[in-house]
Amino acid sequence: MTTPASSARTPSSTIAAVASSIPGASSTAGSADASASANAMRSAKPSKRPSASYERQEAKAALLFILPAFALLAVFIFYPMLQALWISFRHYNLISAESAFAGFGNYGKLLSDDAFLASLRHSFYFTVVVLPVQTAISLGLALLIQRRFRGVGFFRTVYFLPVAVSFAIASTIFRLIYNKDYGMLNIVLKGLGLPVLDFLSNPDISMLGIIILCIWRAMGFVMVIFLAGLNNIPDYLYEAAHVDGAGPLQRFYYVTIPLLKRTLAFVVIITTMDALKIFIPIYITTSGGPAGSTSTVVHFIYETAFKQMNMGYAAAAAFLFFLLVLAISAVQLRLFRSDVEY
Amino acid sequence: MSKSIGFTLRWATLLLVAAVSLFPIYWMVMSSFRTHEEIFRYTELGRGLFLPVDWTLQNYRDIFLDPAKPFGRYLLNTLSVSVVVTAAGLLINAMAAFSFAKLRFPFKKGLLALFLSSLVIPYEVIMIPQYLLMRDLGWINSYKALIFPQIVWVFGIFMLIQFFADIPRDILDAARMDGARWPRIFGVIVLPAAVPALITLGIMTFLNQWDSFLWPLVVINEEKRQVIQVAISSYQSLRGISWGKIMAATTISSVPILAVFVLLQRYYVQGITMSGVKG
Repeated sequence: MTTPASSARTPSSTIAAVASSIPGASSTAGSADASASANAMRSAKPSKRPSASYERQEAKAALLFILPAFALLAVFIFYPMLQALWISFRHYNLISAESAFAGFGNYGKLLSDDAFLASLRHSFYFTVVVLPVQTAISLGLALLIQRRFRGVGFFRTVYFLPVAVSFAIASTIFRLIYNKDYGMLNIVLKGLGLPVLDFLSNPDISMLGIIILCIWRAMGFVMVIFLAGLNNIPDYLYEAAHVDGAGPLQRFYYVTIPLLKRTLAFVVIITTMDALKIFIPIYITTSGGPAGSTSTVVHFIYETAFKQMNMGYAAAAAFLFFLLVLAISAVQLRLFRSDVEY
Repeated sequence: MSKSIGFTLRWATLLLVAAVSLFPIYWMVMSSFRTHEEIFRYTELGRGLFLPVDWTLQNYRDIFLDPAKPFGRYLLNTLSVSVVVTAAGLLINAMAAFSFAKLRFPFKKGLLALFLSSLVIPYEVIMIPQYLLMRDLGWINSYKALIFPQIVWVFGIFMLIQFFADIPRDILDAARMDGARWPRIFGVIVLPAAVPALITLGIMTFLNQWDSFLWPLVVINEEKRQVIQVAISSYQSLRGISWGKIMAATTISSVPILAVFVLLQRYYVQGITMSGVKG
């Protein structure tokens, strides 16, 4: 669905995280305010005020309605989060069963661990390439199919279709397509008289192969977000610009881009968050190779925790990475916040 | 003149992108109908490259009849886990959302903030302690490990709150005056009014579960209990990759989903746009 989502759960959850943190985007807070003020109005008129037992009953029912969700959240999210922090400060290896307090030992070791630093570099390289390319392609597609014309429904569906292909399967198909000897890509390149590309065993270009695969799968998802944003721009603004003599390019630059800024901010932030966490295509197509050239941070965490069973070290890596992602998101939010509200 | 060039260019782009979007899926389906030898035979541009020459269903027979890798079992595993998580998730998330959207109780804002704060917790961080928790509970290799941690989806609660907020409180109060209890009001008034939202969330949950990879990879080690996505990836790590079988397996696990997706994409798109752009 997504922006290159590293795990099935992430895409939309990050969306909501961002949605709730983008200023003005939190309609939930709005509705809570609304009901609170309705509440205040009620209590201002004593004649209409519900009885105390009625209120108590409602509060009791409300808490019972929330209880199952809260219990699951506490056991499977909040408790593991606290434990992750605790584990990250320990030497904790499941194989040697050693467990001792490490203080900041794990964190210190990570900062001089070449494998970890390389995985950070690979994640950032991936993100820095995917972010502009995918955003531009998706916006272009959204603009192409925004207007109604005969067959527009067909194109919308087709562009959106890869979103429904699971990430694991998309990666598997591309592994066959990229194969040097009998993969589709190289047969076509050879047929056109172009040099062949070996994405899977040439460390110089292996990451590009993964990037193409991720953009293929995610562009339809981002396109839909842009389409919704474009449809929110009122027609009269375009008409006014047209009357004032603005050409298509000027209308795009002076009307579309400024009014699309909030959508753009949203897309940039979720793409960054998801791109930094890329894992599934790496695991399936290259397993981090060739020569470690595609090992990303989540791949490093997975290998450390579940291959070497080094839980403490992996938890520390995960926390360090989390802080980094958090910092980047904060900077991005700050950058977009300086824009004029409309 | 320039207008017709623009027109041609536009259509050329539309068609080119459509071809790029569809081709890998087409290639997957076609490869699944080829014999093992044929997949490696056509290495020149030509008809044999785009359409199978000897159509065969052997790959499909092979994957279903292989006792070492029971494909039907993988499908059933994934389907049942996805259905249970979707059903339980819809109920439990809707209950919480209803409470947050419509009921009055102390500490509401604080609780909501606590719920929403879980959205910033990255899965990568809690994966390790979650695994240790599953081990301590004895749930490794059990579907409980695939189901319970996945039921609550705060994003889903967040989405439903926005839908429920549109239901007028007066209707609920009226039902209350008539003597209905809150669970009954929830079941008879609120849930039926939110069917489109529940369909949207249901599709998103189901697809997420159908696609889940990393977590089953970590907690399920026993071959016959594995889910479909991980099972397919394990076909590749075997010696002598059999691409025909892999493509048959990926086709079966994608094509039904793709078909349902095309029919219901309106709801899915609604979910995506709800989450981001309405603001």
